[in-house]
Amino acid sequence: MSAHQLDSTDYRLRPAHQVMQLKRLGSLHASRLSFTRSLVRQMAREDWTVKTVRFDLDSEGYGVVIYRLQTPHHRYHGVVFSQPLAPDERSDRVIAEAWDVTFALVEGDVEDSLLDQMAANVPLQEAGRQHPRLLVLSRANKSLRNFGHFVEALAAGHQPDPAWLTAVGYLYRTTAVYGNGKFGIADYARLQKNPDFNRPFSAQMFAVYLLRHYSVAQVEHLAREQSPETAVSLAPELQRYMGIGNSTGLGMAPFLINHPQLIQQWVYGRERALDFAQHHAATPQKRDQLLELLKRAHQHFIETRTEDAEQTQRNQETVGFIAQVIDWLERTQATPNLWNELQDWAEQYCSLETQELINTLLIELYPGLIDRMEDELGCEEILELQPEMTAQQLKQLIEERFAWALEYEPDNPDHNYWFWYRSAEKEEPRLGVRSEESGAEKEMQLAMGPRISRTWLLLSDFLERSPRGLVVEFLLAQPGQKECVRRIQTMGATPYGEIQANLWHRDMKPMHLLRTKLSFFGASRFDPKSDRWVRVTLFQGAPLFSELFSTHGTDQARLAMLDDWSFPVEPTLEGS
Amino acid sequence: MKVSFNELQGMGRKAFMGIGFDEGDAIDAAEMVAWMEAHGLGGAKALSRGLDYLLQEDPHEVPEILYQDADFSIIDAKNHSILGNASLGLELGYARARARGLSVTKIRNCHNRILVIGYLSRLARRGMNVTAFWRNAHDPLTEQVVGFKARHPVPEICVYSLTDVPDETEKNNGITLIMANHVDMLPSLRSDYELSNLMQQTENDLQRQRNQALIEGLEVDDQLWQTLKRLASRLLVEATADSRSGAGPGATDND
Repeated sequence: MSAHQLDSTDYRLRPAHQVMQLKRLGSLHASRLSFTRSLVRQMAREDWTVKTVRFDLDSEGYGVVIYRLQTPHHRYHGVVFSQPLAPDERSDRVIAEAWDVTFALVEGDVEDSLLDQMAANVPLQEAGRQHPRLLVLSRANKSLRNFGHFVEALAAGHQPDPAWLTAVGYLYRTTAVYGNGKFGIADYARLQKNPDFNRPFSAQMFAVYLLRHYSVAQVEHLAREQSPETAVSLAPELQRYMGIGNSTGLGMAPFLINHPQLIQQWVYGRERALDFAQHHAATPQKRDQLLELLKRAHQHFIETRTEDAEQTQRNQETVGFIAQVIDWLERTQATPNLWNELQDWAEQYCSLETQELINTLLIELYPGLIDRMEDELGCEEILELQPEMTAQQLKQLIEERFAWALEYEPDNPDHNYWFWYRSAEKEEPRLGVRSEESGAEKEMQLAMGPRISRTWLLLSDFLERSPRGLVVEFLLAQPGQKECVRRIQTMGATPYGEIQANLWHRDMKPMHLLRTKLSFFGASRFDPKSDRWVRVTLFQGAPLFSELFSTHGTDQARLAMLDDWSFPVEPTLEGS
Repeated sequence: MKVSFNELQGMGRKAFMGIGFDEGDAIDAAEMVAWMEAHGLGGAKALSRGLDYLLQEDPHEVPEILYQDADFSIIDAKNHSILGNASLGLELGYARARARGLSVTKIRNCHNRILVIGYLSRLARRGMNVTAFWRNAHDPLTEQVVGFKARHPVPEICVYSLTDVPDETEKNNGITLIMANHVDMLPSLRSDYELSNLMQQTENDLQRQRNQALIEGLEVDDQLWQTLKRLASRLLVEATADSRSGAGPGATDND
């Protein structure tokens, strides 16, 4: 059975006005379709191997490390530069100019001349010119407290307390992970026929996964340098429990608006997976499996800590609701319709985060067919104009498919509160208050609601003069509408590409945009630092490189075990 | 300097918006330039040549329809670059061909005409057979023909000069386009005349150049890149202490 056979059930999918609400999107969790999970499954299934080919770190951990990745198809190299960084230079902001580590993933070999070029440019990041064989360019800063504690503990001959990783789940956090031609690196088009990295963001995910491997190697090296007699290696349970952090701000937000066709693919994939899972007849075994996953998630959220008051409250609610869900499920027989009943109940009684957690866990129950959807999350992104459409049809299309946009009130100050712009400082996206700050004349065209609303008004005007006019004639009268019109025409054909929110609205929370994308990446431990800045952890709980490679081939049970690392909980070390 | 396709497209879009293009025109113009450059057809150079004129044009001035009926359209681009909203003339021709099976469109008074190939590729992608013709120069007389088959990503191109110059000497600074819905009008560019071929590019030639560009990147003149950057910076808002804090992070990132 192919993933395409699911298409016949599209009529059962949840409606767009429910799914594409910003608050619901901002309540999503990572699922088995997330990019980190897909990558780990691929590496395990295909026996990817990673070898250290150069390890030149000095006694303070500065220098260069080079890894070689071998897949069934190609060879790549990961190059990591580590350098001293003054405390006052350490910043997660995109305007930073120096970092603890800078690194890149290279297609093919790294000859001396390329390494020289990289050494001169990779540490400069945006300020350098990068080589076209680089697939990914990135940088990361240390979590100083974790780093110090880990080196100290390992040097003294014992394991660090796992609670440190529960509080902050990483030694390094990335502040940007660039792909697709940025600053001279390889265009994504180059990867489209590459079976290793043709899925969206998979090369970037791999680079982050490699950094995790590096971070373990570096702390162990520093421990050995400090106390060669007593230093120990980091226990595998802690290596697994360690992820890589990511610090994200408004820089990510425009992506959600500028790539509606990708968002459509991602959300559609998840909704189809959910539909498939929820219409499966529940069995006692699957109910028990769901209970296990819920209990683990329950513990995961109990352990999750954030300083943000709102997120803390949401987490606490989630913990409370999960307990109720577990109770409900334990009391309820595994009838075939169980999943639908569970969702109906959750929709009535539980928070959005809990509802979407249940959905995530239902998807978790049915690998196989659902996992094949991971190959359908990419697309060619082209917004095509249909100049031959009548203006009347276009107006009807807006009214039928974009009614949410017509709720915009041009004279309501709350509907026009924010404006989005790029700062002269490294083109960093920022939010300004329209009535108080300057720069609105240069604002970025991200608020699709007001834009589509304006198109509808201009169309109505045009139709009074030319009731049988074509779209191309409308555009000759209003050429500034071209981009909005072709977006409406293209996105009107699919349900899930447009986030149904007015991004100028006073109540709009940018955090929901960030969480949407991060959940598809596979992020967990959402730790907002404000309503527009968040830290997350990637790959926490994921198996290690050494565990992925096997001479046992593609044994399904082994692969299933390696894939089961969502919602990780704090490990208990032996002897502790 | 070497840049990626995505970089050229992105910088181009911002630069065109900085000049004052509407978003859709800026995206299209950048795509035209980047497409041409990626296929070895000198997109960046063509942009360089036309940039000074572009900076003096009013990007909001609309092309004028001089004549139209169900099958034919004649449009005056008012001496604008084809990079601007003159492309709407192409969309008019497309809409006519969709309705009528075939259309002929003449866009008069436009320059930077070679860049039109980048836009025609998107019409072909939509399933239209497109052939474009124009005269590049008068002495020697040089003609250019570009033919896209429907759904083919690259065209065939033929540029040739003629020693036999007709008596009619009116300057030809337009593009003539024939679009056909269901038939491929010019499957290959054959001629019984002795043409001094200045260039002939087959589909394979162009595809090969595209693949090479993906591996090696695109070579763009440093000065052009700096000019584009400068134009793009017109869209940026000066930073203030308030705006810096409006981006989000907490008081310290050291933890």
